Amino acid sequence: MLESFNFLVILEYLPLFGQGMIATAWISAVSTFGALLVGIVSCMMRLSPVAPLRILAGAYIEFIRSTPLLAQLYFFYFGLPTLGIRLNEYQTGILALSLNSGAYIAEIIRAGVQSIPWGLIEAAMASGLGYFQRIRYIVLPQAIGVTIPPLLGQTIVLVKDSALLSLISVMELTRAGQLMNSERFMPAEGFFTTALCYLVLYHLLKAFSTWWQKRLIFRPA
Amino acid sequence: MFVYYLNNLIRTFPFFLKGLWMTIEVSALSLMIGTVIGFGVGIARNARIPVLNHVLGVYIDFMRGTPFLVQVFIVFFIFPEWGIQLDAFSASILSLSVYAGAYISEIVSGGLDIIPGGQIEAASASGLNWFQRMVHVVMPQAMRPILPPLVGQYVLLIKDSSIVSVIGLTDVTRVGWLTVQRIPEGLMVFGLVGILYFVICYPLIHLSNAFEKRLRLQEFKLG
Amino acid sequence: MKKWACAWMAILMVTAVGVSKASADALQEIVKRGELRVAVQTQGPPFSFVDKAGVRTGSSVEFCKLMAQEMGVKVVFLDFDWDGLIPALLSGKADLLAADMTANLKRALKVRFTQPFYYTGSVIFTKAADTRSSLEDFNKESVTVAVLLGATGEAVAKKYLPKAKIKSYKGGGPLLINAVLDGHADIGLNDESAVMGQMAEFPPNSIRILPTKLSKEPLAFAVRPEDSHLAEWINLFFEWVKEDGRYDENIRYWVKSLDWKKDH
Repeated sequence: MLESFNFLVILEYLPLFGQGMIATAWISAVSTFGALLVGIVSCMMRLSPVAPLRILAGAYIEFIRSTPLLAQLYFFYFGLPTLGIRLNEYQTGILALSLNSGAYIAEIIRAGVQSIPWGLIEAAMASGLGYFQRIRYIVLPQAIGVTIPPLLGQTIVLVKDSALLSLISVMELTRAGQLMNSERFMPAEGFFTTALCYLVLYHLLKAFSTWWQKRLIFRPA
Repeated sequence: MFVYYLNNLIRTFPFFLKGLWMTIEVSALSLMIGTVIGFGVGIARNARIPVLNHVLGVYIDFMRGTPFLVQVFIVFFIFPEWGIQLDAFSASILSLSVYAGAYISEIVSGGLDIIPGGQIEAASASGLNWFQRMVHVVMPQAMRPILPPLVGQYVLLIKDSSIVSVIGLTDVTRVGWLTVQRIPEGLMVFGLVGILYFVICYPLIHLSNAFEKRLRLQEFKLG
Repeated sequence: MKKWACAWMAILMVTAVGVSKASADALQEIVKRGELRVAVQTQGPPFSFVDKAGVRTGSSVEFCKLMAQEMGVKVVFLDFDWDGLIPALLSGKADLLAADMTANLKRALKVRFTQPFYYTGSVIFTKAADTRSSLEDFNKESVTVAVLLGATGEAVAKKYLPKAKIKSYKGGGPLLINAVLDGHADIGLNDESAVMGQMAEFPPNSIRILPTKLSKEPLAFAVRPEDSHLAEWINLFFEWVKEDGRYDENIRYWVKSLDWKKDH
């Protein structure tokens, strides 16, 4: 098998894979940011005392969690134009990724917030802090510390999920492999190189996560 | 126009049900095989056999570090170059099972790790060998931390099964993709696809939560 | 070290078996097996598509049914996205590739084409309301051209519209029409026969085809390079159906008109 493995063609396509990797990286970064926004907002809605907000956020989260990302992606890609909303594929992809990861992030933050001992909140209330001040100074900082590792985990998931964008013609890493298959009929060279690139991204992110967790542990109390 | 499309969609509904059945079939088969693989690998990893541990580690790393979509392409396009000819259905089951196996094995070895070391020592002190320890002492207890996340993982895998639609397997996602090219009402078509998935996954998610609550209560009872 | 060697030996042996299997006479294999496996497009009217009743049909599909009849075997259709057709043929999943595929030189390096069964050409299509009609109008950086991944449209677009942005879609022709109607692309570029057959699926008068044919495309079926007996048989088949009128009937019904729309 190795005799026929054409390294020369891989070298020829290397710039394409580089392009793809950069695209995957920035799409994932923007989507993660979007997902954080969506996640924080929907988490606050979920925990709010206002019933309609709570139900709306709850419905959104349950629906996202019970349906596949691919179906959601196609929903936006084929559905938005019928509403007259014309986004390009990058925007559609980032929208779908943000909304999808946002729901999971909302749950992660909710778990983090609910892990805060009630006594701490009582103390904050007794000290005269208002609702938003409590959130800003007590709840969020604690919640963030607990939630960073699962959040980084969700980021890794998002990078892998971004591969689906290749199916709506976004030029990213998986698309580079597909092009090598359809232009040169060399699936092995194409998809193994793609897999390798993803593994590199995965290990980079995992290393960052481990470093961050060590930082958390060694932080002076 | 909208009513015209809606009529078309209603007429295509049986096709969606066929796709849903395919999704269920593929998911169920892959989950069963994946669970067997997962338990096998998880227990093997827990046993910490030197070379095997490493090899299994590489397998799990590959499964978790690459997108499932790429894995599906590899099985479907590259395996034939090695002489392994697979149709879309078999390729889907193979890739989904292997993928599931990796994640399930992590849940299993995580659950096994929770068992206090003292239990294992007591069991071997009582004269039980490795196999008897596993079957009578470790596994029954490990089921508690394993079951809830396992059901949760099943839901994730049913959703991931939508990805095999790209190699032409006519599951409910592909039915949607094919239909939307003839009935260009994306919201309706994929709204329907979403509802069909929801009907399967939502109950399972709540089953998993219910499991977790029940098993945690049991833990408290046992003190 | 030894374990590695054994693993590689196993892989090489499996590959060798796979390769040697392919060099047996494919046509006789098909007859012996009693089954002809054809790789077709999932959704590429009028050549291969699934009709309202959920039945696979189309010009290429019907030709293959006739072929199977003449061979005395049954026919099985395996459908793929456009870019998956040749890999399916080469990997042995299918014996024959039946689609409106252009027999260009690059593909001919990998597969063996039969004699062309039809000649078409690439055309540009736009939204009906779009009034632009010359190549200069479209050869600009601000213009996006939708083409099919792995199709000749990609090369034609690069040749005639070098400045425009080219977007490749994985799947089939209808996706390109969808893209233009949704605004994801300004224009689409595909074979005239494909566009004509596929625009019937969309609201009438939403798409306008520009009259200039940008290229001449000989459409042919394909088999694996070593299957010369099968290729010759298929060529002979087309000779016979051209003589007895069945070819003309097929092409008239499916490709030259929209008569098929009434029944399917």
